[in-house]
Amino acid sequence: VHPNVSQGCQGGCATCSDYNGCLSCKPRLFFVLERTGMKQIGVCLSSCPSGYYGTRYPDINKCAKCKADCDTCFTRNFCTKCKSGFYLYSGKCLEKCPDGLEANNHTMECTSIVH
Amino acid sequence: AVQKAIIRVIPLKVEPIVLEGEFANVAEVTPAEGKLLQSHPLSLCNTSEDEHTESGFITIVKLEQPDRDPNPCLSLANKAKLAGERGARAILFDITDDESAADQLRKPRGLSQPVVLIRGHDAELLMGVVNKNREAHVKIEVKEPPAWPDYDVWI
Repeated sequence: VHPNVSQGCQGGCATCSDYNGCLSCKPRLFFVLERTGMKQIGVCLSSCPSGYYGTRYPDINKCAKCKADCDTCFTRNFCTKCKSGFYLYSGKCLEKCPDGLEANNHTMECTSIVH
Repeated sequence: AVQKAIIRVIPLKVEPIVLEGEFANVAEVTPAEGKLLQSHPLSLCNTSEDEHTESGFITIVKLEQPDRDPNPCLSLANKAKLAGERGARAILFDITDDESAADQLRKPRGLSQPVVLIRGHDAELLMGVVNKNREAHVKIEVKEPPAWPDYDVWI
């Protein structure tokens, strides 16, 4: 076996190497890129970590980061919790609520105005 | 002829090292300098837009044996192009385990960020810096060919 190829792969890797970590995952697991300092390795998880969303492709299941203004999301374009300073409205993160809606500073969402 | 590159690696807390590589014709032969960041081969795919890295870095990609990535998401030239679009000032490919990469990157594509190939002991030293240090700075220089040797010509 090539010296750089890990004897035993970590966690859910199907294939891996010393320098890159996981190269592919076992079925149904998600591939995530993890950076520590200069290093970037692949890891395989059963679900995507907070701040990431999962996408299943034919050859790989991948986690990718939510948008910069979003803390947690279903997909890249559907946020479920915005970063501080933003209000959530229809899966989007807004600095100001649209006309006709009011900013709820408790839930950090735009809600209908109650008369 | 292959244009050699001098790669000066300056880790934050340990002695600098000087390595050698070769410029790939896919890109311009030009010096570059920046913070060293490793990129996983799969991070340079169109489906991986997740890394919001500030620009001005130099990326090192350790290529695996070709049979370990039978369906690469992009060609190496396009991976280099993508890295440049994401802010890399230069792309270093460790081709120790994939010599075919040199052929894939031979055809000029005019990429503006230099692409440098590194292999063997030099590559091992570079990856060692990545593994053992938190931060390092890299300077890539064009290695000048040796000056024309002085012959004592007698007429």
